[in-house]
Amino acid sequence: SSDQSVKVWDKSESGDWHCTASWKTHSGSVWRVTWAHPEFGQVLASCSFDRTAAVWEEIVGESNDKLRGQSHWVKRTTLVDSRTSVTDVKFAPKHMGLMLATCSADGIVRIYEAPDVMNLSQWSLQHEISCKLSCSCISWNPSSSRAHSPMIAVGSDDSSPNAMAKVQIFEYNENTRKYAKAETLMTVTDPVHDIAFAPNLGRSFHILAIATKDVRIFTLKPVRKELTSSGGPTKFEIHIVAQFDHHNSQVWRVSWNITGTVLASSGDDGCVRLWKANYMDNWKCTGILKGNGSPVNGSSQQGNSNPSLGSNIPSLQNSLNGSSAGRKHS
Amino acid sequence: MSGTKPDILWAPHQVDRFVVCDSELSLYHVESTVNSELKAGSLRLSEDSAATLLSINSDTPYMKCVAWYLNYDPECLLAVGQANGRVVLTSLGQDHNSKFKDLIGKEFVPKHARQCNTLAWNPLDSNWLAAGLDKHRADFSVLIWDICSKYTPDIVPMEKVKLSAGETETTLLVTKPLYELGQNDACLSLCWLPRDQKLLLAGMHRNLAIFDLRNTSQKMFVNTKAVQGVTVDPYFHDRVASFYEGQVAIWDLRKFEKPVLTLTEQPKPLTKVAWCPTRTGLLATLTRDSNIIRLYDMQHTPTPIGDETEPTIIERSVQPCDNYIASFAWHPTSQNRMIVVTPNRTMSDFTVFERISLAWSPITSLMWACGRHLYECTEEENDNSLEKDIATKMRLRALSRYGLDTEQVWRNHILAGNEDPQLKSLWYTLHFMKQYTEDMDQKSPGNKGSLVYAGIKSIVKSSLGMVESSRHNWSGLDKQSDIQNLNEERILALQLCGWIKKGMDVDVGPFLNSLVQEGEWERAAAVALFNLDIRRAIQILNEGASSEKGDLNLNVVAMALSGYTDEKNSLWREMCSTLRLQLNNPYLCVMFAFLTSETGSYDGVLYENKVAVRDRVAFACKFLSDTQLNRYIEKLTNEMKEAGNLEGILLTGLTKDGVDLMESYVDRTGDVQTASYCMLQGSPLDVLKDERVQYWIENYRNLLDAWRFWHKRAEFDIHRSKLDPSSKPLAQVFVSCNFCGKSISYSCSTVPHQGRGFSQYGVSGSPTKSKVTSCPGCRKPLPRCALCLINMGTPVSSCPGGTKSDEKVDLSKDKKLAQFNNWFTWCHNCRHGGHAGHMLSWFRDHAECPVSACTCKCMQLDTTGNLVPAEAVQP
Repeated sequence: SSDQSVKVWDKSESGDWHCTASWKTHSGSVWRVTWAHPEFGQVLASCSFDRTAAVWEEIVGESNDKLRGQSHWVKRTTLVDSRTSVTDVKFAPKHMGLMLATCSADGIVRIYEAPDVMNLSQWSLQHEISCKLSCSCISWNPSSSRAHSPMIAVGSDDSSPNAMAKVQIFEYNENTRKYAKAETLMTVTDPVHDIAFAPNLGRSFHILAIATKDVRIFTLKPVRKELTSSGGPTKFEIHIVAQFDHHNSQVWRVSWNITGTVLASSGDDGCVRLWKANYMDNWKCTGILKGNGSPVNGSSQQGNSNPSLGSNIPSLQNSLNGSSAGRKHS
Repeated sequence: MSGTKPDILWAPHQVDRFVVCDSELSLYHVESTVNSELKAGSLRLSEDSAATLLSINSDTPYMKCVAWYLNYDPECLLAVGQANGRVVLTSLGQDHNSKFKDLIGKEFVPKHARQCNTLAWNPLDSNWLAAGLDKHRADFSVLIWDICSKYTPDIVPMEKVKLSAGETETTLLVTKPLYELGQNDACLSLCWLPRDQKLLLAGMHRNLAIFDLRNTSQKMFVNTKAVQGVTVDPYFHDRVASFYEGQVAIWDLRKFEKPVLTLTEQPKPLTKVAWCPTRTGLLATLTRDSNIIRLYDMQHTPTPIGDETEPTIIERSVQPCDNYIASFAWHPTSQNRMIVVTPNRTMSDFTVFERISLAWSPITSLMWACGRHLYECTEEENDNSLEKDIATKMRLRALSRYGLDTEQVWRNHILAGNEDPQLKSLWYTLHFMKQYTEDMDQKSPGNKGSLVYAGIKSIVKSSLGMVESSRHNWSGLDKQSDIQNLNEERILALQLCGWIKKGMDVDVGPFLNSLVQEGEWERAAAVALFNLDIRRAIQILNEGASSEKGDLNLNVVAMALSGYTDEKNSLWREMCSTLRLQLNNPYLCVMFAFLTSETGSYDGVLYENKVAVRDRVAFACKFLSDTQLNRYIEKLTNEMKEAGNLEGILLTGLTKDGVDLMESYVDRTGDVQTASYCMLQGSPLDVLKDERVQYWIENYRNLLDAWRFWHKRAEFDIHRSKLDPSSKPLAQVFVSCNFCGKSISYSCSTVPHQGRGFSQYGVSGSPTKSKVTSCPGCRKPLPRCALCLINMGTPVSSCPGGTKSDEKVDLSKDKKLAQFNNWFTWCHNCRHGGHAGHMLSWFRDHAECPVSACTCKCMQLDTTGNLVPAEAVQP
């Protein structure tokens, strides 16, 4: 959060959330935190305005922290390569090993790898991709299919008036062992605040949600390999399947559910909206909630699953940038 | 304030009150209207709040500025600076017995009349009021009044000037200020510094000055044009904002020489700048003739690493209303709430929203952070489960063991919730396929079995050119129709469609009976008709009409049916072919389509999309010639593939075609669960090895893991390995002898799997060797269990310390050794361990290793070890 700290909440078996750790992580606002796949242990990465990204691991056993309901987190490494604010940090899908991508305001995406998953203090910078635009967000393609090579989408919040495409997609090329630009979404020219690939779930195409001045959903269908010249980057058929300006303002965050079938978005209007596709692939709003959890009047026009508020947890957290993360054990 | 431009102020302590001042002071009360209707006479401020006018005070004309007394007062004590430089204390309360009664109406008069520009109450000494005035020759422009100072002339020399006779009794005049500052200058803005009670920051004519009241002769100053609207950041007391024209300057009082930073110049002059009182580093600015408020988020000022670092600011703008904004005020305590007023005095109350960040949990609950709260939202338990998301559906289906019923395969659709006709069709298809494969294998162990799972498309292809048609008599009617002679393949196809049961008996009777039992009268009637039994069809319809849930209209349909005539140009035929289009039920519709159709052209039946695929296919098998049938099946298959319709599995079977079909189904729905289970039902290996199928299975396993359904995932893996032995996971842990290094199970054909995995509960290969307590390689004894101190390999005794006869061990060896309690387990850290059962019970109560003098906290090393699989906590 913007008070430079990260908090970890644990859900107890009775369904209550407890803050089990809160510690100062950076000397600037923390933009985002992200969990590594639990296979690698309880590992967090955070990135901050202070031009660094850090990897944290929960350690147990040395003190009786558990008895006090607190857990102990230690910094395993600080990634200091960026010369400017690090705006996003994401762990790669687990089949790629323990890899971490960061992007920074100077327009460079860096991909790190921990060659030894038992030693999180060693990270080597594997790739540097220059995007030429100030980056604000990245998203790994979660697909683990062998048919899809590793792919990363980068969004830019560059607000200069020149109408340049703000979303670029890079793909790993087995032959050159480098990431190369595969696609640029030419239609997105406004500053992009968040970007998210949907969990692939065996689909033959990828779904990409973009938070800019509206919510947009794209599908990227890889053109079958035999049609493209082998070795080159994969070509995609890109379709915009939905575009919503219901927030009527800048959209800050988009997030997919586990199956990639429901999208949640939050915007400057202080509302959280849920989007879902019907069987005809028409995306529709299925729920609106105000930031304080109260339902918005007249939001039930769709009549579908009107989400009910489960619980709210007051915290002293001052989270403008909203980098909060509940712990999920998967 | 001039009469055209109202200002607005929140009460510092009564959080539901605010004042709008232009030519008069109006006090409003804010109420929430979430649960109540808008009251008469109140003004709507936002969707959920409204304001009621409480009182109006027009006692003080020529108002230039207003400041609210900072201490709690129920009477709303206000200081009003007037155009003539006088400062008047006034109140908006009705209660005149308050302790401030004697203060109200007090006037503080400067020596020379000139405009009062600004007022500021001292935040620490609530009686001090600073007033900033225009320049008047060499007079002082900053006057600090003590509102409690007595007006009695014996303490302070007091003049009564320019008093009208009527005011003498009520107006109390004070003319001697506590301090006089800023000689020969003008003061445009003022604010007290919270650092010290006696420090006052003033925006003078051409400089910013800090006056220290402890030593009034000295002042710190810096020359600048940005002298208007000085205001201190409530969270960072050395940070001050001021503005000039369209430019905001941020000052650090510790480095007062020049502004720390200046904010982007606005084309229009600014009118107000204010720090948010509830959030650090948020500055709101307003320019003239504009309907947006610009917000500057400055809390990201980093600790300077290099000298060149410049604090970065996030700029946002909000548009609270459509009109131009005259003024705004932050709410003193409500988070980021602000009220704005327009020149024509319409007000609006709104909250500047923080950016909301959100995240989904695997179990379809959404978490987000808004302001200082975290919210969690879960999907409502919805009775209409059709509208549930596939994620929820799959989770519930996994819990109900969906897909795992391999005996009564059709029952899986009931486990899935019995709501999706496509799933029903799919599982019935798979059920029939399984049944007839078994049949085939029994009869002739040839290669027919594989044909069944290949779907009707291949079955039909294999029988090309072997069928002749013949004329069959209608039962109950004097009519004949062309019906294809049913060869073995067509019978098989009909069986797969479910029309006829096992064996060579081609009677549809049992099928009709089961349909009638389920209340599907229309379908039953149609099937009966297609089997040329019109009497039975009418009978079924009558039955349906007379039953409880049935539709009385069925009688009408039965009547119409019975009027069937074969004549080509009859009225009946004409009416039926037009009226049938109005029938809602597709089966009734196709019945008439069939009866009115020309011989050999059954398009009305075959292409009625609402009729189940299996019925259409069965119909086609009965009535179409081989070439027609092939063409039809081909076409239908492609249609199904395109749509990802699971009913099409009947045609494609579990072949590559089926995978294509399933692919478009998964693309459409994301239901990898059904895809995985369906493909694991009996696909040939080359289909199972299809990259896509493997990928679905992989995805489904990941889903189960993410839901913490570890046991379900294990069940799924077992189910999978039955069909695809190569998918059996390699043994992940081996127990090797300390002495000879050989695996005690002799099954060391594979390399140990690397990774951290769930190895804490590592399992051994089954140590079912002749002598259980010794290594089968070198005959040396196995290590002892740390708890019972018996050599490993012996079964766990229920009472610790108790011994068991060797005989008994031998008897129960085969069965017992496979039980989990007897398995080897050990801590990866301290390498102590023993029987899994003993270890489990030990760690239920202990965190430390059972071996004395070992302080390893084995159980806490694995955080997932403390987790319960989610199936266990499910209701």
